[in-house]
Amino acid sequence: MTQTSFPAFLLLFILLSTLTRVHALWPQPRSLQTGSEALKLSPTFDIIVSGNIHFLPLDLREAISRTKEQVKNDRLGRVVVGRGSSDQPLLFQAKQLDALYLSFGEHATMSSIADEARKPLESRDEAYLLSVPCDGSPATLVANSSLGAFRGLATFTQLWYNFNGTTYALHLPVDIVDSPSYPYRGFMLDTARHYFPVIDIKRMLDAMSWVKLNQLHWHAVDSQSFPLQVPRFMDLAHKGAYSPDEVYTPDDIADIVSYAGARGIDVLIEIDTPGHTSVISKARAEHIACPEFMPWRTFANEPPAGQLRFASPATTNFTASLLEAVATMFPSTLFSPGGDELNTNCYDQDKETQSILSSTGQNLEQALDRFVRTTHQAVIDLGKTPVVWEEMVLVHNVTLHPETIALTWISSDSVKAVAQKGHRIIHAAADFFYLDCGGGGWIAPDLAGNGYCDPFKTWQHAYSFDPLANLTTEEATLVLGGEHLLWTEQSSSANLDPIVWPRAAASAELYWTGPGGNTSDALSRLHDLSFRLQKRGVNAIPIQPLWCALRPGACDLPTTSST
Amino acid sequence: MRTFSSLLLAVVLATLPPAHALWPQPRNLRTGSDKLKLSDDFKIHLEAHVPQDMLDAISRTEDFLKKDHLQRLIVGRGSSDTNALTNAKSLSELDLYLESGADANSITTEAQKPIESRDEAYTLNVPNDGSPANITASSTLGLLRGLTTFTQLWYEVDGTIYAADVPIYTHDSPAYPYRGFMLDTARNFFPVSDIKRTLDAMSLVKMNQFHWHVVDSQSFPLQIPEFMDLSIKGAYSSSSVYTPDDVKDIVAYAGARGIDVLVEIDTPGHTSVISKAYPGHIACPEATPWDIFANEPPAGQLRLASNETTNFAANLLAAVARMFPSTIFSTGGDELNANCYDQDPDTQKSLNETGRTLEQALDVFIKTTHKAIEDLGKTPVVWEEMVLKHNVTLNPNTTVLVWEKSENAKTVAQKGYKLIHAASDFFYLDCGAGSWLGASPDSPNWCDPFKTWQHSYTFNPTANLTDDEAKLVLGGQHLLWTEQSGPSNLDSIVWPRAASSAELFWSGPGGNVSHALERLHDLSFRLQQRGVKSIPLQPLWCALRPGVCDAVPHTS
Repeated sequence: MTQTSFPAFLLLFILLSTLTRVHALWPQPRSLQTGSEALKLSPTFDIIVSGNIHFLPLDLREAISRTKEQVKNDRLGRVVVGRGSSDQPLLFQAKQLDALYLSFGEHATMSSIADEARKPLESRDEAYLLSVPCDGSPATLVANSSLGAFRGLATFTQLWYNFNGTTYALHLPVDIVDSPSYPYRGFMLDTARHYFPVIDIKRMLDAMSWVKLNQLHWHAVDSQSFPLQVPRFMDLAHKGAYSPDEVYTPDDIADIVSYAGARGIDVLIEIDTPGHTSVISKARAEHIACPEFMPWRTFANEPPAGQLRFASPATTNFTASLLEAVATMFPSTLFSPGGDELNTNCYDQDKETQSILSSTGQNLEQALDRFVRTTHQAVIDLGKTPVVWEEMVLVHNVTLHPETIALTWISSDSVKAVAQKGHRIIHAAADFFYLDCGGGGWIAPDLAGNGYCDPFKTWQHAYSFDPLANLTTEEATLVLGGEHLLWTEQSSSANLDPIVWPRAAASAELYWTGPGGNTSDALSRLHDLSFRLQKRGVNAIPIQPLWCALRPGACDLPTTSST
Repeated sequence: MRTFSSLLLAVVLATLPPAHALWPQPRNLRTGSDKLKLSDDFKIHLEAHVPQDMLDAISRTEDFLKKDHLQRLIVGRGSSDTNALTNAKSLSELDLYLESGADANSITTEAQKPIESRDEAYTLNVPNDGSPANITASSTLGLLRGLTTFTQLWYEVDGTIYAADVPIYTHDSPAYPYRGFMLDTARNFFPVSDIKRTLDAMSLVKMNQFHWHVVDSQSFPLQIPEFMDLSIKGAYSSSSVYTPDDVKDIVAYAGARGIDVLVEIDTPGHTSVISKAYPGHIACPEATPWDIFANEPPAGQLRLASNETTNFAANLLAAVARMFPSTIFSTGGDELNANCYDQDPDTQKSLNETGRTLEQALDVFIKTTHKAIEDLGKTPVVWEEMVLKHNVTLNPNTTVLVWEKSENAKTVAQKGYKLIHAASDFFYLDCGAGSWLGASPDSPNWCDPFKTWQHSYTFNPTANLTDDEAKLVLGGQHLLWTEQSGPSNLDSIVWPRAASSAELFWSGPGGNVSHALERLHDLSFRLQQRGVKSIPLQPLWCALRPGVCDAVPHTS
């Protein structure tokens, strides 16, 4: 008996060391059990597909090889004082893990990760079970879909650290039962205010997949530039891209979509209409009202002014064809026709619009209704669900398909009203998730330098967002998830990674693990994630001095200062 | 008459905006409206005995001209210039002249002179007829500044390198002798390559002072031969260090680019990490709760009342000062926490034995440590508290960094000290990104909001100062404290914002923000062409259309 009882100080030591940090998984699995043993990764570690799987999709096979590469090559030192040197005594006796056995549930039907990722939002199966024993026997990963398996692999890679060439995990055994709280976990990138090369987008997709984000919302074009090459509408990019090099060819798009799919990410393409379309005037002057009119402030929320002449049947047909042409390039079941920031003065002063309105006897809102119905129908006819900015629900009186999903952006306070109208919701609120805020205004010369959505949205702020605030139980079922967004008036390749990472990971955990996470606990895991992103080539920024990162809690504001 | 006036209007419009985008704006500039091509066999000549770093600067300049490949920031990116270029003359020669009687010292030697004796003036003349351009200066440092201006004249379209607004004549010199940038390499570490890239960017905007806040409470990356255990035990890792060779490399790289290195060993506060190697010298090391012992974690300060510690600090400062050729050296002096000493039995014992108050002990500490610097022929640079909060004896030549708020410049000047503007309310690049202390949501940062380039650009360096007091202003600097910065966001947080103080202190205050914006776009793109990840200030659409994205568009 005496031999098995722990000396009190040892027990205390164990308690303390498990209190400071257990694992640094991000997002935190929804059910996680851990032990206190160490485990080394065998140099011959392999991932073996077990069970009666006759066919393994190519993208899953590739994901398995990437996983093996990552556990070997991350070489992340533990984010503690000594960077893992104190783990050495534990490793002396630790067993080696030789294999991870991947198997699928009885009812699993085997299709590619990409196919699973592109299913309608609510039918994506991302659940998985992961067990890593400490006795050296094989770890097991069980899922019902290749997508679930992929999520489990992402978790598995986050268990491993490296010290002096030894790859190891702590706090074994680990048992994880995991699945997302919300089906939509996204990141929006605007490639129109500034162009981003395909390689940047792929790097974003990689980083997204490591935090289990599943939706790239691609705000591809806007008033400033039209980088998207659309077959049958090639003149739009030809005349509207910033330069002949700053375009996304159909091959680029296919490449991005397939790269995303293989990483469990669906691509929601947005062609913002009828506003935010000034650049279309370069190729199709007849379809744009008030193109580049000045002073821009009376015609648009930002320069240049210019909107589709939606009252015109020709313009409506043009738009429907354009949306259809773009939608056919993307396999997603979602498509965004935009719908934000419509400026009525632009139409009031547009003779063409006024003459159509008088001849049809319609008012502007009636004409808009017709435009929206026609253009949305083109998307719906392709089997896709429209995703619109909140104004389409809250500001305008237009007929939307009841399945239409609304992006609430102006303020998180808009959510309640959208829910009351019965539309499904994606949280994208400027006051929580806009990554561009706080860098000073870009409308010149603004001496005070205030941006429209100051201040900077910290990761803590986004992390502590409540997706169901003020909603009834029934309204809450309309919330699909949310996304961080990067509008790129002041961003380009030069600052893409540092402005996005690790902040965008805050919503990734919020919508996977669910709200209510503890920010202190999250901070130490977020450091870990940030360092792992750096190891994998993403320029995530430090959120504290390294001294603090290595000492969880030591840089918290002491309670003395809040009293 | 009708025809004439519309022609006149066309001419006026064509000259607005100016095609040249020099940064900082020369203080005296005359430009024409012709184009000039750069000949394929373009060469820079300097007759005279030429120091090696001048030769290197010449070959770097020739390289920049060929490789910048910057397209003009106008719609079409310069395609509209191609017609005018067919008839343009070609420039095949730039001649550099050192004025007669001038010393052919190295650029480095000139840059490392005392602040007020640096000669950075130059005259640049680029004719429009293809005859040789020339730069005249009375020092190699002046020639370097002229070469820097020269490189900013050139654009590229379809493989042709050309200047747009010749003839150009400028006689230029800085309004203020100190134009700096401060980097903190202690909160997070930066590899030498990051520092060199930053020095390159600084040199492009004619900054002349790298203020290197090299160590602090969090880490001690500086290897000092006599005090190796400080970095062995205090660096974040054995690879996160600056070796003596790295220091030499950085100092030489800076010098060759007209930049002096002001190293700072912050004392007696901000020294917690010294406790790892010398616990006997540090009071309240890593004491918690940290906020009653320090402004930020970890707590820990030199035991300034102790003779041994004072001698240790003096020897340490002297050892570091000997590694740097600059005539200025910063001993720091900010954010001293009295409670740390009140609760330190060792300090209380020293005070009792000597019968001194803490302030009297601080005076002894400062006199001794500053003397170690002055004995090496160097002038101490201190943070403002040394003048404003403490009652210590300073050499009247001591230079003061005004940091807490810009208004404090007045009090420092009234006390008769020379000053460097480094105010957090204008020049702190780290502000506005949220608090890094703890994990609580929505805690503001102490120096919110973000300091925009426009804000620092419109700073008045002599606000509230009398004419006599104004003479004490040496210049100023942007500063990057790196609690939330690392190699991953160094460029993007610094550039192009830091360029706003580079122009403010070279060209002088009062610049027009709208005009500056379009030149700053140009600079930002040129920085990108040279490998610095400078960020965009506006959508490219706006950058190509000066004025159109103004709140009240100035072209309407």
